[in-house]
Amino acid sequence: MPTPKYEPIVYKDGVRYFYRFSAHQRLQHIVLFTSVLVLALTGFPLRHADEAWAKPLYDMLGGTEIAPMIHRIAGTVLLALFVYHTIYWMVKFYQNHVRKLIDEKRLTPWNFTKEFFSQEMIPNKKDFYDIIHLWKYLLYFTNRPPRHDRMSWREKFDYFAPYWGIPILGPAGVILWWRDEISHYVPGIVFNAAYIMHTDEALLAVLFLFFVHWYNVHYAPEKFPAAKVWLTGYLSEDEMIHEHYADYVKVMVENGLEEEIQPQHFAGEHYKW
Amino acid sequence: MFNNKLSTIFMLCGSLILGGIGLESAEAAEEELNCLLCHKHRGLSRIDEKGKFRLFYINNELFESGPHRRNQCKDCHKDIDRIPHRPAKKVDCTQQCHIVEPSGEQKFSHKHIADTLSKSVHGKLDADGNPKPHEEDYPFCKDCHDQPLYRPIQVYKGVAKHGISERSIARCRSCHRDGNFAEDFYEHVTSRLHKTRFSKEIIDVCAKCHQDPEFNKRHELDDAVTTYKETFHGKLIALGSQRTPDCLDCHVVEGENNHSIESKLVVTSATHEDNRGRTCMASDCHQKADPKLAGFQVHVTYDREKYPLEFYMLMGFKALMAIVLYFFLALIFFELMRRLFPKFAFFKDDKPHHHVIEEEKAKIKKK
Repeated sequence: MPTPKYEPIVYKDGVRYFYRFSAHQRLQHIVLFTSVLVLALTGFPLRHADEAWAKPLYDMLGGTEIAPMIHRIAGTVLLALFVYHTIYWMVKFYQNHVRKLIDEKRLTPWNFTKEFFSQEMIPNKKDFYDIIHLWKYLLYFTNRPPRHDRMSWREKFDYFAPYWGIPILGPAGVILWWRDEISHYVPGIVFNAAYIMHTDEALLAVLFLFFVHWYNVHYAPEKFPAAKVWLTGYLSEDEMIHEHYADYVKVMVENGLEEEIQPQHFAGEHYKW
Repeated sequence: MFNNKLSTIFMLCGSLILGGIGLESAEAAEEELNCLLCHKHRGLSRIDEKGKFRLFYINNELFESGPHRRNQCKDCHKDIDRIPHRPAKKVDCTQQCHIVEPSGEQKFSHKHIADTLSKSVHGKLDADGNPKPHEEDYPFCKDCHDQPLYRPIQVYKGVAKHGISERSIARCRSCHRDGNFAEDFYEHVTSRLHKTRFSKEIIDVCAKCHQDPEFNKRHELDDAVTTYKETFHGKLIALGSQRTPDCLDCHVVEGENNHSIESKLVVTSATHEDNRGRTCMASDCHQKADPKLAGFQVHVTYDREKYPLEFYMLMGFKALMAIVLYFFLALIFFELMRRLFPKFAFFKDDKPHHHVIEEEKAKIKKK
């Protein structure tokens, strides 16, 4: 299926919007957060079974017979999405990077590695400097926030969190699910390890999502009650300037709008409540 | 100083006045000594010599549907022969009582159960017949059986009541019309066949001793109950599961009675290294599993010496969680604080944004 063409800049109600995510990517995000929410809802009452809220919530989700089934279905969906997204990413990497090298007859291990690290989601040196710059800014040592590229280091962290969480949570979940069958191949203590991996990594993931990720997309004053980019795929000019200034300038220049480029500002300067 | 005898008399008089003296039920009239004359009153109580509050009220409705319903009070409280009586001695559950089993003609006694218990890990004497250290901590009948879960309760269509459901026994009565045979036999059989006790309550019985920190210290035991509650078995039971194993399911050999629990060091025990696999694979449990499944450590205390793998994994995850969350929460905090004075900075960077534009143009040209 050909990739739908998205305009890099669109106008709506006099506001300029910048393309961020395709419908395909947005759909993957919806499947991701739906399955993660279902997993958290059906998993945490069990993790905290002694708490007063646990039993009513678990009963609402089907109780001890049904809720584990829902949890396993959601887990299977999440693992499937993980595999699907990895294949999707490999195909994209081939289409956008490797094929170019093949066409230009430059496919060497060194060039391949260079292309790999040039992908927009891969952390790089600029991210490291951006983190240092951000702390300088937050501690009032400079008045200029960092100028992020298309993907900021925070988004890269958010993106790689599932790539670190799912390989820990997924196999541990499978081991606990198929414990009888798997016990023929591994010693019993593996189940103790799987139990700790599954429950503690889940807590880290959920705390990170509910505090940090949700701050980024829900609680932050300029985002509250919710960011819209996950639905529309486009980010407003204000948000672009605030979050991706380097990319904002690049897109504006590429589209011949360099005269209209606005100076960098920080969101605190002009809230739109 | 509180006068115990006086307090008893006062309470007795008070309850007699409040309740009224009289023979209210047929059961009471049948009693040789008419114990319920006093013991039917809810306030009948005293503070004993050790300063412990003792309640002597008998709920006759519960008693009449309990396992001892065919016994007279005097069958067990043999030392009482007059009223008012002196403080009664502790009942010896192993004595032979006057009940004749409905199945045969033998007189009934709990003695063989007491013998089984004395040979188990819960027996007061060791293999050589010498008292174990802290002998007084070891349980006898009432330490476990005097618990709410042993109350005779029937549940019919989700409603819990005392005694036998009339609807349940109607079938038996269609043939066994005479006397109380149907009630007695039904009660006797069903109370043993049904798993009438909730796993949660069984855990509470064991917790009475095994979750007591002082008790565990005296006997050099880990807290078996808290550690069990940390497992999926314990958690599912807390959430109301009826299909998950409680203490008895793993600590009693399948087919044996609950009084025969043995130490994991005894070769015949359900939790001995060589038998654990079979215990996990018991009917209705992990039938398809390999005996290796029993290598799962149920009572993990996260002690570094005893459970190094669990200890270091837990520490690792805690450290990871602390690093990630403290870093990002600090970031959020400072970011919110930065909004208070958005334009202020110790060092101003007033370079125009145009140089960024120039850089971008140069990059595009290069491409």
